[in-house]
Amino acid sequence: MSKETIIKVDGLGKHYLLNSSAAQKSDTLYGALMNGLKSVKNIGARTERVDFWALKDVSFEIERGDKVGIIGRNGAGKSTLLKILSRITPPTKGRIEITGRVASLLEVGTGFHGDLSGRENIYLNGSILGMTKSEIDRKFDEIVSFAEVEQFLDTPVKRYSSGMYVRLAFAVAAHLEPEILIVDEVLAVGDAAFQKKCIGKMNDVSRDGRTILFVSHHMASIQSLCNKALVLKNGQIDFPLSETNLSLKHYLGVVTEQSKSLIALRTDRQGEGNFRFSNIVLKDNNGTVLTAAQTGIDVTFEIEYTLKEKSISNISIAITVYTDEGREMFTLANHLVDQPFLRINSGNKIHCTVKKFPLNNGKYLCNIIAYKDNVIQDYIQEAFLLEVEEGDFYGTGKPVPHSNPCFLIDNKWQVS
Amino acid sequence: MNTEKIIIDPDLSSFFSLKEILRYKSLLTNLAKRDFLVRYKQAFAGIMWALIKPLINVLVFGYIASKINSTDSVTENFVFVASSMLLWQLFSSVFNDVSNSIVGNSNLFAKVYFPKIIIPLSTLLVCLVDFFISLIILIVVFIVSGQTVLWQIVLAPLFILLTLINGLGIGLYCATINVKYRDVKFIVPVIIQFGMYLTPVIFPTKFYMEKISIYLPDWCQVIFFLNPMVGAIDGFKYALFGGEAIYSVPYFALSVCVSFIFLFIGIRYFYRFERNFVDYI
Repeated sequence: MSKETIIKVDGLGKHYLLNSSAAQKSDTLYGALMNGLKSVKNIGARTERVDFWALKDVSFEIERGDKVGIIGRNGAGKSTLLKILSRITPPTKGRIEITGRVASLLEVGTGFHGDLSGRENIYLNGSILGMTKSEIDRKFDEIVSFAEVEQFLDTPVKRYSSGMYVRLAFAVAAHLEPEILIVDEVLAVGDAAFQKKCIGKMNDVSRDGRTILFVSHHMASIQSLCNKALVLKNGQIDFPLSETNLSLKHYLGVVTEQSKSLIALRTDRQGEGNFRFSNIVLKDNNGTVLTAAQTGIDVTFEIEYTLKEKSISNISIAITVYTDEGREMFTLANHLVDQPFLRINSGNKIHCTVKKFPLNNGKYLCNIIAYKDNVIQDYIQEAFLLEVEEGDFYGTGKPVPHSNPCFLIDNKWQVS
Repeated sequence: MNTEKIIIDPDLSSFFSLKEILRYKSLLTNLAKRDFLVRYKQAFAGIMWALIKPLINVLVFGYIASKINSTDSVTENFVFVASSMLLWQLFSSVFNDVSNSIVGNSNLFAKVYFPKIIIPLSTLLVCLVDFFISLIILIVVFIVSGQTVLWQIVLAPLFILLTLINGLGIGLYCATINVKYRDVKFIVPVIIQFGMYLTPVIFPTKFYMEKISIYLPDWCQVIFFLNPMVGAIDGFKYALFGGEAIYSVPYFALSVCVSFIFLFIGIRYFYRFERNFVDYI
């Protein structure tokens, strides 16, 4: 197939005016944006307005048949870009030329109404997504069998299980036949088997030579689905559209680089800020600071923090550990082990000890979050890089053969 | 290959295009169908409510009118009120529902692109269906009171259309403001409530003119006709009953003109801000 430009984006920018009081409260772009949108409702209260560019000077060209992944942190402008491309919101600057029919899938089940039956919702949702009646008629049986809801076609969808609901909603969307499909993280729904089916369906779509734009936090699905990827950061292109592997490498590289910077200086955090992480160090049982954790020894995370007030009550803290491919390994949370902090003072330190550290050697990323009464106080994604060195987990003195990353678990063998 | 070029840039402005609406025809009918089906779901009387509400109104206001307009016979009063009341209800439901339609369906256009005018148009369709159901009342009243059908009846659809134009024009204007200032939601019912007394719904136009000429100089009469619903209701009455329903032809024409001006302003205003709705919702 000849390489033909199907989407041409030139100097794209999107500008928002935000209330400064709201903008101060939230340091992340996403949070600021949400606050800004909320404050549009609060007329009357006069506040200074602040300029904010959700996207700035973004240019790229996509060729027919490309499957493009768009990567970036929260607030990088991914969703804004998709919204402009799907003509939901207009750009402030720049120009886009699209050749062909576009369908966008920014949400599963847009327009679904609980009181309507499955059949009625298929027609309603299909027409919202831009299908004509005859198109839906033709694909109706296919949609129903894909969603596995044959028996419940005339039941109001509010009586559906959530799984059935999502399956039906995705089934309609999956049967769209546009030349360009824009998809925003909708695959994170349903059970594993259904997700596999969805990825399979998207692969079918792409094999037909159609163009796909895909946003996901799930690096593995970007890797398996896309042949090219683009990295956005703070509304600008951080790494130009290139082979998926190159882009992913750059993105993960940046992530690990940033994780080395001091937590106290991080600005890409969310939350109210009554509690803030300022530093995290790893220590062993003797209180010696470790540059890397070691498999099999007791590792203590020592958390330093700052408070707005002198003390704070009832704070919950969690550390989630990921592989650098984005797969979650485990979460350490004080409320899960039922060890609440009734009151902590500023100047204290919080310790979390993991006995016999179970991860094999490798590099891991950690998200940290603190919340009080279900309100997020501080949330930093990829807050720090956790390096793990090889160690004698089983106490046998022999090295453990490994394929990293992986878990080590104590086990006992007996013959009786 | 069928290639269609879409250009997106900041100053792209769209305007009312019948071609685009026809392309989204199935969305239009499906949305209307949804609203209609959902409205009477889980209601025991179901679609009967489309009849009961206007019927109560006709009875109450017909009774009031026959007490006050003692010059005409009781049945005449009821027939008059039934005709103007149904038309007024059509106007008020279109006006009110269109005003709230954009905000109420923001979850749709925040996620998918389609011409946003589809939403108020589908709302209007639902109101029209309700209206046709309530027409049964008028037909029954007409037959019971032994009215004769005049040739002018062929004009009646024009004045129903004029009513839709009024509701849509003002409704679109309010729907646009409603996106940013939700106060509209509370103001519209007030306008409708007071508007009914400034429109010849219960009393004929002649009644208002007499009252005006008692207290105010004659030229003040023209203000009354700046209300676009005066033209629609007087015209509708003329189509049904003939005679003196139209007080003065130039004034009537003025009222009809106002209708079209409102429609034009409403559509203009709507299309001017339509692209930015998502950023303010």
